[in-house]
Amino acid sequence: MIECRGVSFSYDGAVPALDGVDLNIEDGEFFCILGGNGSGKSTFVKHLNALLQPDAGTVCVNGMDASDPELVYDIRSTAGMVFQNPDDQLVATLVEDDVAFGPENLGVESAQIAQRVREALKAVGLVGFERHETHALSGGQKQRVALAGVLAMEPRVLILDEASSMLDPRGHKGLMKACRALHDRGMTIVMITHFMEEASEADRVAVFRAGRVAMLGTPEEILTRADELAQLNLDMPASCCLGMELRAKGVPVHAQVREVDMVAEIAQTYAERSGAGTVGQSSAPQSEIVGGTVSASNEDDVPEPVIELSHVSYSYSLSARERRRWRKRSAVADKSNKQALWGNDPSSPWALRDVSLTVRRGEFLGLAGHTGSGKSTLVQHLNGLIRPQEGSVRALGLDLSNKKDAAAVKAKVGVVFQYPERQLFAETVAQDVAFGPHNLGLPQDEVDRRVESSLSRVGLDLSTVGDKSPFELSGGQQRRVAFAGVLAMEPEVLVLDEPMAGLDPAARRDFLELIDRLHRDGLTVVMVSHSMDDLANCCDRIVVMNEGAVFAEGTPEQVFAHADELKSIGLGVPAAQRMALALAEAGVPLRRGGLYTVESLADELADLLIGRSDGSSNVSDKAKSETVTREEGC
Amino acid sequence: MEAFSFGSYYPGDSAIHRLDPRTKLLLGFVFLITTLTVSGFRGLAPVAIFVVLIYAVSRVPARRALSSMAPLLAIVAVVAVLNLFTDQSGRILWQLGFLQISEGSLHSAVFMTCRLTLMMAGMSAITLTTPTLDLTAGFERLLAPFARVGLPAHELGMIMGIALRFMPQFATEMKQTADAQASRGARVTGGPLGGVRMLGSMAIPLFTGVFRHAETLSAAMDARCYHGEQGRTRLHALAFGRGDALAAVVTALLLICVIVINLQLV
Repeated sequence: MIECRGVSFSYDGAVPALDGVDLNIEDGEFFCILGGNGSGKSTFVKHLNALLQPDAGTVCVNGMDASDPELVYDIRSTAGMVFQNPDDQLVATLVEDDVAFGPENLGVESAQIAQRVREALKAVGLVGFERHETHALSGGQKQRVALAGVLAMEPRVLILDEASSMLDPRGHKGLMKACRALHDRGMTIVMITHFMEEASEADRVAVFRAGRVAMLGTPEEILTRADELAQLNLDMPASCCLGMELRAKGVPVHAQVREVDMVAEIAQTYAERSGAGTVGQSSAPQSEIVGGTVSASNEDDVPEPVIELSHVSYSYSLSARERRRWRKRSAVADKSNKQALWGNDPSSPWALRDVSLTVRRGEFLGLAGHTGSGKSTLVQHLNGLIRPQEGSVRALGLDLSNKKDAAAVKAKVGVVFQYPERQLFAETVAQDVAFGPHNLGLPQDEVDRRVESSLSRVGLDLSTVGDKSPFELSGGQQRRVAFAGVLAMEPEVLVLDEPMAGLDPAARRDFLELIDRLHRDGLTVVMVSHSMDDLANCCDRIVVMNEGAVFAEGTPEQVFAHADELKSIGLGVPAAQRMALALAEAGVPLRRGGLYTVESLADELADLLIGRSDGSSNVSDKAKSETVTREEGC
Repeated sequence: MEAFSFGSYYPGDSAIHRLDPRTKLLLGFVFLITTLTVSGFRGLAPVAIFVVLIYAVSRVPARRALSSMAPLLAIVAVVAVLNLFTDQSGRILWQLGFLQISEGSLHSAVFMTCRLTLMMAGMSAITLTTPTLDLTAGFERLLAPFARVGLPAHELGMIMGIALRFMPQFATEMKQTADAQASRGARVTGGPLGGVRMLGSMAIPLFTGVFRHAETLSAAMDARCYHGEQGRTRLHALAFGRGDALAAVVTALLLICVIVINLQLV
């Protein structure tokens, strides 16, 4: 379907973005492209639909030479492309007009366009949205509209350039479902992604580095090569990590790239062994993982609260009078049937409903919930950007309903918003970081001190980056500068809204470490994240939001014990926990309960499958134990 | 953030909704001229009936119609007050220094209020029943004859459509930037220096955002084979129907009524 021969390309004529790429993509293939930021992935796929022309080499799409100007529109309608940012690629105000944009440009007849629009919307599951306004849709829905817009051109190849990276788990799932259904019907799919779980679904995977194809093969061949992946700034899927860990402990299983396969293989190994009577102490009755070890927190030395929300409600659309009416009605409804009014009501005008929440000094609090669950509104309450319409917020002993106190709290509760690098504005990095301290009215020498120290706290050096324009820096560095801009306010509480959004795996790890270090230095941290793995790894406590209300609250162990409830509101659990639950379901008697990490799950499985594993069975292979050290990073 | 809504399109499938946008624009123009020629309260009666008729047929809820007009009513209020103190004639009702209100000025203030409100109601009936893209398409087609003298009609229509599409986007981004800078202690009321700094901290992220959007949007439009007007078809091809003829007849009736009343023939 697609043939690339020696494709080279440079944006500025000096630094090559692509350096001799040879790649064939077969008809009907699901092809995944991985690679760190700046490895040339996006540049490469832009060649596949003639958005860019190679400096050297040839690209051939469905037998058409992409450099032939006569064929440009044939190629672009053959290879349709969905971009990363859902907000950037919709042209029209109404959904159906946007989907029709492609076929309109191709000069398709009106009646046939209507037909194509209907079919395309059906394929992405958005029937009935024809007359909706595009800007009012969720990110996931927008991205599916963009996909429908491409499908309406009736392409043979679908190119997705990190199309899911800005979506929440629910939007992500919806997009992947649509793509898989299309692939099943014969569509060739080329997908750039940072999610290894997505890559494991592909037929073949290519890994880019510095404008070249560094690795090429099936997911099984590529995703199990821990050392090389780490060098390329990539992770292994969690199931591979588990498999490798088990092998290292001497359990004879293969590292599977798909979780279902990994679970199936372990379950089978267990079944064989228990049949042969060679399993370790597994005769104990199978206990429920759900609701496992719940450690009651020690009431005695609970640190003081720094932020307290009590019974906070907020609505963007209701006026004060309407809110009173709602409350009256709900008071009546409370007696009869609370669920009817406060249940899953999509038309609910409340962004927050009766939220009570305490952030304690020194803790690392995680906030989970999909888009529209009220997380962002909650975050804006934490430092007085929004004052509650009902209920009260107290931060650092001050009442935020008082305007003066709210201003004082803004300096003490630093908020890093989503994509904070977009807020950079000054001529130099130093000036941008100094913006906050200047606003506080601090003397110049104190401002200078804060600029230097906050830059060093995010791992940047004032003398090397201080005089540069923030716009010259790489994306990751820009985000660090934005972090420093907030840290320069010397806050006591740091609130982070999706701090790792849009980063590649290596940069994600760096930022997680950075945030963890800030927390260890004594900052109270509140982090909003879609990644359950990140939340499980970092947080002391997790609050799950749904429909504007607190859905669950507790330690990661407590919260992730309720996998089914979380699933019902569109959230998942960390990968290790997911596999543990699947294994328990498959009849493997896991007993430890609580929250599993890949390591602890591997430990227990090793115990279960080969008895006490320490020392006895895993001396066999030194190379394997080297792999283990790599595993720590997963 | 979610509360932002630009344009006032109210989705529906009424006879008014189905009218060709060109009809609505042209007849809207005729309606404006007609209303401007009305010279007395009696002449406003058929205009009021016409407006009520439009809203009844379009089935736009009264509340929605009023809320979309609310910002415009500020202009009406300003004009009314100006009239109240300027257009003097007849008995003086109230005086304070150089300010005075007379019978004539009261009459003209009330008349202007009624006339302007009806005009606004009529025009917002168009935006309420027409998606912005259709409106721009209508403009584009109406301007098409001028393309021969070098007016880039299609491009103008496209620019307008995209501008309207991105308006809510930029409003959201501006709100986010303002929140982020306010979290870093920026205040709008920080003296002239603070004001300038706040302005820069708001404007520059907004502009970089605009360029970022423009870059991807142009790539996305290229990827969907956009290449200007040539050979382009439309999902909803504009076509005049029987409804358009009927609308033209009704508007003509209105015009005749107003002229008859103006000439004091009844």
